[in-house]
Amino acid sequence: MKAVTADNLSKTYESGKRALDDVSLSLNQGEIFGFLGPNGSGKTTTVKLLNGMLTPSGGECSVFGVNPAVSPETVHGMSGVITEHAQMYDNLTGFQNLTFFASLFGIDAGEAAQRARSLLEQIDLAEAGNRKLATYSTGMRQRLSLARAMIHRPRILFLDEPTSGLDPESARQANGMIRDLARQDGTTVFLCTHQLRYAEEICTYYGLVDSGTLLASGDIESLRAGLSSGLTVTLRTDRPPVGVEHGKLPDGRYSVQVASAEEIPRLVRRIVEAGIKLYHVSAQRPTLEEIYFALIEQKSTGGAA
Amino acid sequence: MNKQQLALIKKDVRGITSNKRLFSVLLIIPLFMAVVLPTIFLLTITFTPLESGDLQDLLAILPVDLPNSDLRVALTGALLNKIVPLFFLMIPIMSASVMAASSFVGEKEKRTLETLLYCPLSLKQIYRAKILASFALSMFVSLLSFAAMLIVVEAELWITMRNWFLPAIEWLLIILLVAPALSLIAITLIVRGSAKAQTVEESQQRSVFLILPILMLIVGQFMGVLLLNAWILLGLGAAFAAIAVVLVRTSAGGYTYEKILK
Ligand SMILES: Nc1ncnc2c1ncn2[C@@H]1O[C@H](COP(=O)(O)OP(=O)(O)O)[C@@H](O)[C@H]1O
Ligand SMILES: [Mg+2]
Repeated sequence: MKAVTADNLSKTYESGKRALDDVSLSLNQGEIFGFLGPNGSGKTTTVKLLNGMLTPSGGECSVFGVNPAVSPETVHGMSGVITEHAQMYDNLTGFQNLTFFASLFGIDAGEAAQRARSLLEQIDLAEAGNRKLATYSTGMRQRLSLARAMIHRPRILFLDEPTSGLDPESARQANGMIRDLARQDGTTVFLCTHQLRYAEEICTYYGLVDSGTLLASGDIESLRAGLSSGLTVTLRTDRPPVGVEHGKLPDGRYSVQVASAEEIPRLVRRIVEAGIKLYHVSAQRPTLEEIYFALIEQKSTGGAA
Repeated sequence: MNKQQLALIKKDVRGITSNKRLFSVLLIIPLFMAVVLPTIFLLTITFTPLESGDLQDLLAILPVDLPNSDLRVALTGALLNKIVPLFFLMIPIMSASVMAASSFVGEKEKRTLETLLYCPLSLKQIYRAKILASFALSMFVSLLSFAAMLIVVEAELWITMRNWFLPAIEWLLIILLVAPALSLIAITLIVRGSAKAQTVEESQQRSVFLILPILMLIVGQFMGVLLLNAWILLGLGAAFAAIAVVLVRTSAGGYTYEKILK
């Protein structure tokens, strides 16, 4: 069974805003799925549709075979959700918050206390767990939200911008915790973020969105394969490499786009045969960010054609 | 009510008792209506000369058997059974409103509502649990206030007049019928407004719609327009209860996650 599916899923808000436009997705169990795109691209809308908080205007979706528009409670029972607006109680301690939410999921008191303590340990809040939430920093709150979402051992975690508002160090740390916790229980993760760089560190599968449409989905290899330029070759030479299309980097080096590694020897021979002195060659595979912007470019030129 | 709903009810009640500001509202209104006000009435009757015009005016309004031995005792009884019950009704209305506003709108204001909605309870179950939490607290405060009033009034009567007070059937109707019905109406009014209201204060103001009629009843009593008796209370109580049942039945209908989170 697929963890998540979406078939031509669309959402138009009452205001007339089309936030999601014919998105189709299919996600295997156990993946850490990065749903990536800038603010306003429809990520939160998708999470809400998948949890039945919104009803689709078109198409449909499922979470472990259950349609959230039909039985949202069943989906809630197997998912843990973190969103910006899903906060916890300031007048309760971290521990009390966790045990309260555990009880909402029908976990009995003894087991809830045990689970809460072990999660607090894993998110470095073992001591802070006895303090009221009112005294927590943003980072501590985010981590506690992660524990809250995991309290009932969900089959899938929906994390909407779990690292927003965190400094880079805390964001890395939080991502590490997400990965470790998810691996422990084989939990599928649906991670929404606009921070592509962090996502690349933990995700195994991607969906790239822009203004409500899905640009591409797949693992990083298949995303790269979908691009016309698969590699960026950086050259240090004594003068510009004539005869090849190139860009100039700020440090004086030149960059050339090639489709695959097979083209590198040919490129080097051409430069050397032209009498240019070649001091250094390196090849980088495009980062997620580069793939994203390349896809945006393709979309806009494709749209113009 | 299942175990999950009970957990939600417990959390809601604890949420209000641990909030100093809300808790003091829950304390002050009952204190005033059930303890201070009857005491003022009692002292006034004790220390006003019998011939004074004010007492004679009261006598004209309230049904007192004159041949009865002690006029002051009779007057006190009449005040406590006819006038104080109306003031007392402010207690369930205010407690229910304060609690419901904090339970429904407070969660929205503090952004904890969405977290609740992601739990495996249906929207209806969540609403039912929250309505019950407000209702239980309101009735608890009302009963406690009544007990406090009895203790204080009996002690004062004994000290000042060597006598004691027997609550009339009106009180039974107030406690068992009118107060629960008004609590439920107050709660459902707040719930209905909760989708629109953005702050707890804004939402609490809705209880004015219930307090105004009660105030008019009180004024009516003093002007002698309408005299409270068990039949009137029974009629009013039955009407309120009918309204309450309809409001509760329809309170969770028509709501969707989308409407609530807006
Ligand atoms: N309740 C709403 N009513 C109208 N428009 C909305 C609503 N929520 C979101 N939008 C709009 O829908 C688009 C997608 O929003 P969202 O799903 O929140 O994007 P993301 O999470 O990727 O930042 C945005 O243009 C946003 O302004
Ligand atoms: Mg968002």
